[in-house]
Amino acid sequence: MMPAADQDRPPRMPWFVSFLGRRLIWALITLFLFLTAVFFFMQVWVPYSWATQFLRFGFEPFDAARRAAGLDRPLPEQYAGFMLGLLRGDLGTSFNGGAVTDIIREALPVTLTVFIAGTIIGWIVGELLGRLGSWNRGPASGSVMATLGVLSATIFPPFLVFVLVRWLREPLLDAREAMGLPVDSLALWRGAVTGEPGALQPGDVRWLVALSLAAAVAAALVVRSYGRRHQLPLVEGLALPGMLLAAGIGIWLSGLGPHALDLLYRVDMTVTTGRGSPMLAMFGVVLISFGQVMLLMRAGMDAERSEDYVLTGRAKGLTERAVRDRHVARNVIAPVLAGSFLTFPTVLAGMIIVEFELEMAGISRVMFDAIEFQDIPVIMGVMVVLGLMGVAFRLVTDVTIAALDPRQRRGRA
Amino acid sequence: MTAIAEPTVQGAPPEKRGVGFVVSHPKVLAGISILALFALFTVLEPVLEATAWARQPQLYDPQFGFDSSMRHPSAPSATHWLGTSSLGRDVFSMFLHATRPTLLVALSSGLSIAVVSLLFGSIAAFRRGWVDGLVSHLSDAMVLLPAMLAVFVLGISRSDEEFGALHVGLSFGVLYGLGPAVATVRAAALTVVARPFMDAARVAGGGGTWIVTRHVLPHLYSHAAVQAMIGATGAVIADAFLSFRSAVGEDVGFGQMVYDGIVWSSFLSGIAATPWWIMLAGAGGITLLAAALYLIGVGLREALDPRSGGARSDQVDTRAFVGRLPDSNPAR
Repeated sequence: MMPAADQDRPPRMPWFVSFLGRRLIWALITLFLFLTAVFFFMQVWVPYSWATQFLRFGFEPFDAARRAAGLDRPLPEQYAGFMLGLLRGDLGTSFNGGAVTDIIREALPVTLTVFIAGTIIGWIVGELLGRLGSWNRGPASGSVMATLGVLSATIFPPFLVFVLVRWLREPLLDAREAMGLPVDSLALWRGAVTGEPGALQPGDVRWLVALSLAAAVAAALVVRSYGRRHQLPLVEGLALPGMLLAAGIGIWLSGLGPHALDLLYRVDMTVTTGRGSPMLAMFGVVLISFGQVMLLMRAGMDAERSEDYVLTGRAKGLTERAVRDRHVARNVIAPVLAGSFLTFPTVLAGMIIVEFELEMAGISRVMFDAIEFQDIPVIMGVMVVLGLMGVAFRLVTDVTIAALDPRQRRGRA
Repeated sequence: MTAIAEPTVQGAPPEKRGVGFVVSHPKVLAGISILALFALFTVLEPVLEATAWARQPQLYDPQFGFDSSMRHPSAPSATHWLGTSSLGRDVFSMFLHATRPTLLVALSSGLSIAVVSLLFGSIAAFRRGWVDGLVSHLSDAMVLLPAMLAVFVLGISRSDEEFGALHVGLSFGVLYGLGPAVATVRAAALTVVARPFMDAARVAGGGGTWIVTRHVLPHLYSHAAVQAMIGATGAVIADAFLSFRSAVGEDVGFGQMVYDGIVWSSFLSGIAATPWWIMLAGAGGITLLAAALYLIGVGLREALDPRSGGARSDQVDTRAFVGRLPDSNPAR
C-alpha cells in the first residue's frame, strides 16, 4: 500500500523478524508482570484459602497435607516456587490431587476452538457491517446499527444462551442428521468409551481441530500480506476462507472428519443430554463480539470519509467501492484492530459465561468448579492460560497492524 | 494519509468544543435519558409503597411478598404489572428494588475507574522514564486479567454482606482502571504533555503537582469518562452474573430474576409456559442500564475522537515498548 516507506529495505520482509523479536521481548516482560499480578491477586486479595475451607477445624491430617502443598511457607518463597514451576511448565497440583496442567490440557482445546473461530467470525462480521453501514446510509440505518451494536455489547450472556438454546438447538440437530452423522455418536467413539488402549480420544481430535484452526489463521495472515504487497486482490481476499477450507479438507482427508464434526455437536463424552454444543457457543461469541467492532469501524469510516484524499480519489474517477475498500477502510482498520485488543477482556469474560451456561467441558467449567471448591492452584492455572491466550491474541493483532501499516513496523527508538 | 501526517495530534482539542456539543450527541443523549429513567425508578419505589401499594403491602413486598389469590408464576395483569415470579413475588416491585444496588455498582465502578486511570495515566505521562515504562507495562499486563473474571473469583460463593454491590463495583473498578482504562488515558496524556503549553507552564515556574492538576488533568477528564462508562457496563454485567449464580438469600437482583425464569422453564420445559415476563424484566433491566452507560461512553468517544477505539494505532505501544516518546517537541 505504501511501498515508498520500504524502499530502503530489502524486499524479503525482514521487518517481520525484527518486529516479531521486539514484540516477543515485550510479551515476556508483560507476561512476567501479569503472572506476578495473578499470584498476588490470588494470595493477598482473594480472602479464602485452603485453610478457610478445611483447616479451621484443626484436624491433624490436614495440617500435614497443608505442609505437603507448601502452604505454610512464607509468601516470597511461594512466589518463587510458583514462577520457577511455570518456567518448567508446571502449574502446580490441584487440591484434589491432580496436576493442574493435565486438567487444563483436557479442557483447553474446546475453549480455544470456540474463542478463535468466534472472535474471528465476529470481527469479520463487525468489520463488514460497519464498513457497509457507513457508506450506505438509509434513513434508519444509523439508529438500527447503533441499537444492534449496543445490544451486542451489553446483553446478559446467560439470557442470550437461553434464547440460543431455545431457538437454535433443534435446527442444529436436524442439520447434524442431514449431514449423515450417526444419531448415536457412541458408534464413533466406542474405543474411547470402553477404554481400549490406543483408541482415538476426543481430546486428541479436539487438539487437532484447535491447532489446525490456529495454523490456518496464521497462514492466512501471511498469505494476505503477501497478496497485499504484490497487489493481488484475489489472493488477499481469498486467503482466510481458502486457508480455513484447506484446514477443513485436511481434517476430512485424515479420516477424522466425522469425529471432528461430531465433537462440534457434543458437549463432552459423558454428558449426552447437555444443553449446548461448541457450535452454539461460537454463535454466542460472534453475537457478543461483533457489535463493538461494528460501532468502532462505522464511527471511524464516518470520520475518515470527509478527508481530502477521498475527494481526490473520486476526482480521479475511482469507483465508490474502490474508495471505500481500498482507501478509507484501510486507514480505519488498523486503529480499530488496536482498539479491539482493549475489548479482549470483555469478550473473553462473555465467552466464559456463555461456555459455562452451555455446560461445556471447557476452561470455564474448570474455573467455576475450582471457584466453588476454592481450589486456588486450578484458578491460578486458568488465569495463567487465559493470560497466555491474551498475549498470543495481542501478538497476532500487532503483526496484522504492522502488515497493514508500514509505519508501525519500526521501533521509534 | 493526509489526515494523520502528524501522528500524535488528535484533531481539535475537545475542551474547546464545550459540554453542549458532547451532550447533544444522540448516543450520549439516549444514554442519559435511560439513566434518568432508572434514577426515577429508585424514587418510585418508596412513593408507590406509600400510595398505591399501601393498602396491600404483603402483595408488593419485593422479598417476602406473596399473592394467595392466583397460581405462580403468573403473567402480567392489572394487579401485577409485570406478573409474578415462581415464588409469588411481584416482578415489578422486584425490578424497582433491584435498581438501587445495580446503580450503586455502576456508580462506584465508574468513579474508581476514573480515579485510578487519571492518577496513574497522568503521572506516567508526566514523569516518563521508568515510571511510564512500569505503568504502561503494568496496564498491558492487567488487560490480560479480565476484571469480570477476577470479580467472579472474589465474589462467587460468598454472602451478600461479605461481598455486596459496593465491593463488586470497587474491585471491578480498580482492576479495570489499572488495565484498559490506564492504557487509554495514558495514551491521551502523552499527546497532552507533548503540546506547547506544557513548556509555557514549565517556563512559568510551575511545580509538578501544579502542572499535572491544572494543565494535564483537565484534558484527560473526557477520556477517563469514556473509560468509566464503558468499564461500568462490564461491572453491571458482572454484578448481574454474581446475582444470577448465587440465587439464595433475600436480596433481589436482576440476575436472580433471569435465573428464576430459566430454571422454571428448563425444569418444566414442555409442561408449563415459559415465564418470559420475569426473564425479560431481569435481562431488560441489566441490558438497559448497561446500554445506557455504554451509549454514553461510545457517544463521548465518537464526539471526542471518532477515529480511534480509544487507542490510536500510532499510540499503541511501540512507544511504550521503546520506553520513551518520539521526539515530538525537538525544541526542548
